[in-house]
Amino acid sequence: MPEEQTVKTETKETEKKKKHKKAPAEVVWAVFRFLILFGLGFVIMYPLLYMISCSFRERADMNDPTVVWIPRHFTLSVMRDTIQAMDFGTTLLNTVLMNVGCSMVQVLSCAITGYGFARFRFRGSRLLFGLVILMILVPTQVIALPLYGQFRFFGIGSHTVNLIDTMWTMYLPAMTANGIRAGLMIFLFRQFFRGLPREIEDAAYIDGCGPFMTFVRVMAPNASAAFLTVFLFSLVWYWNDYYVSSTFFTNSKTVALMLQNLDTELKIRLFKDAKADISPREQIVWKEAGCLLSIAPVLAVYALLQKHFTEGIARSGITGM
Amino acid sequence: MKKKSVRLSYQRRKALYGFGFISLWLFGTIVFFLIPLVKSLWYSFSDVSIGVGSIDAKWVGLDKYSYVLTVDEKYLKLLRETLIETAWKTPLILIFSLFIAVILNQKFRGRALARAVFFLPVIIATGPVYKIISGDMSNTGSAGAGQFSTMFSTDMMGKLLEFLGIYGLSESMSGMISAVADNIFSIVWNAGIQILVFLAALQNIPSSAREAAQIEGATAWEYFWKITFPYVSPFILTNLIFTVIDSFTNPTNKVMERLIVMREDWKFGEASAMAWIYFAVVIAAIGLITLVINKFIYYETE
Repeated sequence: MPEEQTVKTETKETEKKKKHKKAPAEVVWAVFRFLILFGLGFVIMYPLLYMISCSFRERADMNDPTVVWIPRHFTLSVMRDTIQAMDFGTTLLNTVLMNVGCSMVQVLSCAITGYGFARFRFRGSRLLFGLVILMILVPTQVIALPLYGQFRFFGIGSHTVNLIDTMWTMYLPAMTANGIRAGLMIFLFRQFFRGLPREIEDAAYIDGCGPFMTFVRVMAPNASAAFLTVFLFSLVWYWNDYYVSSTFFTNSKTVALMLQNLDTELKIRLFKDAKADISPREQIVWKEAGCLLSIAPVLAVYALLQKHFTEGIARSGITGM
Repeated sequence: MKKKSVRLSYQRRKALYGFGFISLWLFGTIVFFLIPLVKSLWYSFSDVSIGVGSIDAKWVGLDKYSYVLTVDEKYLKLLRETLIETAWKTPLILIFSLFIAVILNQKFRGRALARAVFFLPVIIATGPVYKIISGDMSNTGSAGAGQFSTMFSTDMMGKLLEFLGIYGLSESMSGMISAVADNIFSIVWNAGIQILVFLAALQNIPSSAREAAQIEGATAWEYFWKITFPYVSPFILTNLIFTVIDSFTNPTNKVMERLIVMREDWKFGEASAMAWIYFAVVIAAIGLITLVINKFIYYETE
């Protein structure tokens, strides 16, 4: 270890004198750093590359030991089968309507709540914020059954409606900042808004702007980085969710759920037999194709937003400074 | 006098506005969180059956708890396994993510790409996709993690230590290192958000602190322990709690799987009791960790 230590030491020192000639230690550290990042990056990228490689090969290739990365029999049929089995068009539309819609609504409601906690002192505000922390701590699984009851018999007294299997089960909690991981999102927004200077609000108040308009007109535009970060989180959590949606929907088509049930679905559709015997190795081609299909939209969004996301993370105030 | 009363009413008004901002959430929390939470606690003391028009719960006292703790032999075993796994994985994830964050905070070519790659698990690791790929990794036997970990194989590490003249240590040490290598896939894949938080913390270190350290001639080692570490320390707690909660609320976690199985068997009371025992244990652990760690944290403000 002492060697690495001195390497680091000298790296830092030389970094400060950037214009000077590169010291050997710096080169060593650069190589070392590259190796670490490349190795670990490979661990991260491996499943993705594997996914792409598998989705375009015939299933026989899985048993061919000479095929590692580049398929011997290139084919689009696996992809086509999977799209068909997942009913991808409908599923995608459904997911966008439900999960993406919910994540947007939830970002807004959490921002409003977080702002309320960040800027206003009122009786019980500490206690109520404790409730937000409790929301972060309690897993959905603990409250899933009573929540099911809540939606099944939604209303007061004997005037109840059945909301199960309707989109309300997702949208109502999202609208009231109680959806998937809402506690964490409120927390992030509160931290962020606490970090903004009070002067801009005071200026708005003096100019006769009401508190809600101040929030909409003055605070929200300043919080775009936070909105973007939390939106990406929210999108991902809603997109990947299968637990909550499978609890409240008996028969719903969202990307995560379809992927969860892809196995049986494929066998029924492709081989007309739910118990068709395909070796687990060969099944991988369809599974990986399904994975690729289901993360492709999120990956596209990530690719578009990642620059803001990775460079702007400090400004988004996750650390609350 | 008049001025005072005006100020008071201004404060009252602000308090009202505050309630206005959180009212939507408050309503939702009561309906979608507090009531279900209390009900779930109630269910854990009851025989639960789904009847027509309502969910019926008949009070049976501590029966369900004693069933879960004494009759159900799987639960305690799974609970212990999950807790042990969380206990050794959490520090590893923290050290790993801090290390990566420090690297990603340095200036080098291709940094944007490296960051994009390292945050990628944030996008994927929570969903069923992760379940499938980590399953396939072990299924095909050609796991990327496996290939990678052969680089740090147990033997090589033991040999290296012996070569350096360190005996005796190698047994436990190499055991630990091989555990790390075997689990590098899950560690790397579960560290996305932690890296993000640490990186944000690192970027918030004021440049004045760095300049002062430079002028005083601090080495990188000293800089890390005397500047970086104190500034980052509050986020070690944040990340620690996040990591614990993340593994605890993960639907793929063994206790959670057991819970879901129980619910599918219509044993709602038992499932609730399991959830609450688990919850109590984890809350106790988090409370303890927070108490201990808070003593070592440096807060710039307050």
